[in-house]
Amino acid sequence: MSQNLQEQEVVFKVKRFSPEKGDWWSEYKIKVDRFTQFTEALRRIKSEQDSTLSYRASCHMAVCGSCGMKINGEPRLACKTLVLDIVKKYNNNVITIEPMDYFKPIKDLVVDWDEFYDRMFKVKPRLYPSKEVLEEKAEHRLKPEDQKELWKFAQCIWCGLCVSACPAVRIDSEFLGPAAHAKGYRFLADPRDTITDERMKILIDSSWRCTYCYQCFNVCPRDIEPVTAIKKTRSFTKNYSDKSEVAKRGEKHVEAIYDSIKQTGKLLEGMVYLKTYGLIQSLTDLIYMSKTGKLKYALVQEKNVQNINEIKKILGGEKK
Amino acid sequence: MEKIEYDAVVIGGGLAGLMSAHEIASAGYKVAVISKVFPTRSHSAAAEGGIAAYIPGNSDPNDNPDYMTYDTVKGGDYLVDQDAAELLSNKSGEIAMLLERWGALFNRQPDGRIAVRYFGGQTYPRTRFVGDKTGMALLHTLFERVSGLSVDFYNEWFALDLVTDNKRVVGLVAMPMKTMTPYFFKTKAVVIASGGMGMLYRHTTNSYINTGDGFGIALRAGAALKDPEFVQFHPTALYPSDILISEAARGEGAILKNIKGERFMAKYAPKKLDLAPRDIVSRSIITEIREGRGYPGGYVGLDLTHLGEEYIKERLALAYEAAKNFAGVDAINEPIPVRPAQHYYMGGIDVDIKGRNPDLIGLYSAGEAACVSVHGANRLGSNSLLDTLVFGQETGRTVVEFLRSNPNTPTSNYEKEAEKVVDDAYKFVKSESGVHFGEILEKLRDVMWDNVGIFRDEGGLLNAMSEINNLRDMVSKMYVTDKSKVYNTEFFNALELRNMLDLAIVIAKSALDRKESRGAHYRTDYPERDDNNWLKHTIAYLRGNTVEITYKPVKMTRWKPEPRVY
Ligand SMILES: Cc1cc2nc3c(=O)[nH]c(=O)nc-3n(C[C@H](O)[C@H](O)[C@H](O)COP(=O)(O)OP(=O)(O)OC[C@H]3O[C@@H](n4cnc5c(N)ncnc54)[C@H](O)[C@@H]3O)c2cc1C
Ligand code: SF4
Ligand code: SF4
Ligand code: FES
Repeated sequence: MSQNLQEQEVVFKVKRFSPEKGDWWSEYKIKVDRFTQFTEALRRIKSEQDSTLSYRASCHMAVCGSCGMKINGEPRLACKTLVLDIVKKYNNNVITIEPMDYFKPIKDLVVDWDEFYDRMFKVKPRLYPSKEVLEEKAEHRLKPEDQKELWKFAQCIWCGLCVSACPAVRIDSEFLGPAAHAKGYRFLADPRDTITDERMKILIDSSWRCTYCYQCFNVCPRDIEPVTAIKKTRSFTKNYSDKSEVAKRGEKHVEAIYDSIKQTGKLLEGMVYLKTYGLIQSLTDLIYMSKTGKLKYALVQEKNVQNINEIKKILGGEKK
Repeated sequence: MEKIEYDAVVIGGGLAGLMSAHEIASAGYKVAVISKVFPTRSHSAAAEGGIAAYIPGNSDPNDNPDYMTYDTVKGGDYLVDQDAAELLSNKSGEIAMLLERWGALFNRQPDGRIAVRYFGGQTYPRTRFVGDKTGMALLHTLFERVSGLSVDFYNEWFALDLVTDNKRVVGLVAMPMKTMTPYFFKTKAVVIASGGMGMLYRHTTNSYINTGDGFGIALRAGAALKDPEFVQFHPTALYPSDILISEAARGEGAILKNIKGERFMAKYAPKKLDLAPRDIVSRSIITEIREGRGYPGGYVGLDLTHLGEEYIKERLALAYEAAKNFAGVDAINEPIPVRPAQHYYMGGIDVDIKGRNPDLIGLYSAGEAACVSVHGANRLGSNSLLDTLVFGQETGRTVVEFLRSNPNTPTSNYEKEAEKVVDDAYKFVKSESGVHFGEILEKLRDVMWDNVGIFRDEGGLLNAMSEINNLRDMVSKMYVTDKSKVYNTEFFNALELRNMLDLAIVIAKSALDRKESRGAHYRTDYPERDDNNWLKHTIAYLRGNTVEITYKPVKMTRWKPEPRVY
């Protein structure tokens, strides 16, 4: 075991907030070693240097979801992040810590989660088992493979990082957001549940409002892949009769992607957009994308892949 | 002061609190759950290994609840109340199946039934699990279930103190952290399910929020703690974050080594080596560190490197990932840095098998905050999650019985007492100078670790008593620099510290008085278990600055004490 603790002094610039004083920044110098987690650094700042600093933390092992914050601009769990890893990554011993984006600050790094919880509860986050099972007249049997599939999405710790990173939540109030979708899918897919129709009503329209930007996938500290949950929820659309306009347009979008891949072997986002949303909507979206710095993805020059016939063969003749 | 009225109020949104609330609400009574964190952030979320349950028809064919009771009694070094252990075993299958019906994603056997794994101290395997995050899975399931009932949740509310009238609970004072306005909760019954107290110790696997508030609240209201000297330490907590590295690692062949690369357990437990019981391994590690054979910073190495990458990643995924994420150590190439840390509190608010406290009418307790006692001097792995649910349910049902037979709300002049609770708390904010909570807190954690920890003796415990008394004096001079009226965590940390000190003095005094070694309580000056004089529960009250101690017999049904052989 390396005995070199790599002790080093780092500077934390923490964005503070109070309703009386508004925003300001505080700076703290502390000595850390290669094992120091951000939660421990904050705890030491609070008990040794500035007891007025407020933040949330509980389990210190990435299972309670309390300690989400922005570290050098990235949404992270403070406990799951080692200080020196960030120093190395950015090659800089000055580190900024800010409250998570999107949420309203209450005090310093503590943000208001009420709206997030509302979204979570909207998806009816609980199993509705059959009457027979509740009355103990029947017993659930769950296949190990089903348990595995559901457990992946059930591990959401309600930390809110994905929501803070999601562009769709910000612009579309009808969109439930990545965490609620992960939770919703976990019950939608549970063979023991009895309210599938109601769940489809809650989830399907919303699922077509995700922009597939994969931000939630990138930031989730539990590898839930909320976007995968959303994709899987979308696949329920074909079984659902009461489709909304958004869901119908969404299905068209998928067809467009399919066509794009079939013709060129690639996903030509520009072409897909035009087919799905028509010209006006595509232009509006382009303006949004250019603002958020994503335009570069939409405008990539695409060439057809060479073995396009192979791809056509894989996709087969039929549309799915 | 604003007043809110409920039939019953539960302090704590962990497994025990939620289960009690479920029972009370299902019987149609108005119940509030007060929790200082959003319920799923409670410490219950951190439990890894599993929950013990004998499920008829889905257990080892040779197993039965009697074996489970026997294992529990023996594991607890015979300080266990045997009627309570019997209840725990008999109800275990039912409670696990209840959580299953509510959607808990237990790992499955190929035929779809709940799978089972072996845990230390079990005659037959009977631990049920959800991956390596059983606590999180059960807590989310239960919270989601209860949030669908008519239970009022007061999340991020801090409970300050009970209000009593002539040995009867009439309510409690709590405040929302967001606005810090105190409220009086008028109620007939209070269930304290506020969890453990790891933060009293320099090193703990517990959450930051485990500050033992419920113990302080109960003591100040005049209720006793049972067996407060029994604190469990786990030998392998990751350095320096004290995240639990499960016993499974040593079970799979990991070896403890000192800085010289020596397998030191060969010296302390030549037969069992690294798989000796938790308390012995903890004591051995501390001895190595104290005698200068630990690594700088104070830890030893848990060596997996000889097991090979494939085996490590397959069998010890969690230990591997924890070491990587939280210590930046790749266990394939270097040993995992570990040291012992406080892990569980066997002591707690004195309650009977129905969750009732004998000192105050209307006071109940469940979970780690309570001492029923099913864990005695030493808890068995995977029995604690079971305890929270079984006794959470029992307690909730007892509260319902109580509410049925006491339909009238006690009339009482609570105003003055409630105001006093708030004044006492706000003293810290009102003072303009004094000592900071951080200074007192760090001293307390060192004193407890050094003198009331894994090794204890008369000198150290006397020293601890006098240090803790000094710190309690300092608390009266404590002040809070932050005067903010919104989410003032410094203020709440100060209140937590007050609770911690009220508990600390009781632990130290009870440990000083128990002149024997039993389970986790190890006295170097009295290294033997002494059944003739000490097979009894400690009952401790805090009256002002004095700890009053009496004793109560252990309930024995069928199991006679045997020597604890390893
Ligand atoms: C790392 C680790 C792993 C473990 N693994 C296992 C295992 O595998 N199997 C097993 O059986 N046991 C395990 N345990 C033990 C078990 O997890 C705990 O004993 C159990 O979860 C305690 O549950 P509880 O409901 O009593 O309290 P908690 O879950 O701790 O809940 C306490 C509640 O009280 C609230 N509260 C506290 N003070 C106040 C206040 N002043 N005002 C308002 N609210 C307050 C908190 O907000 C919280 O909601 C483990 C423990 C640790 C530390
Ligand atoms: S992929 Fe969808 S849910 Fe995920 S961040 Fe992007 S828009 Fe939000
Ligand atoms: S999906 Fe992931 S990032 Fe989003 S709240 Fe759940 S755990 Fe956090
Ligand atoms: S403190 Fe629990 S997730 Fe970080």
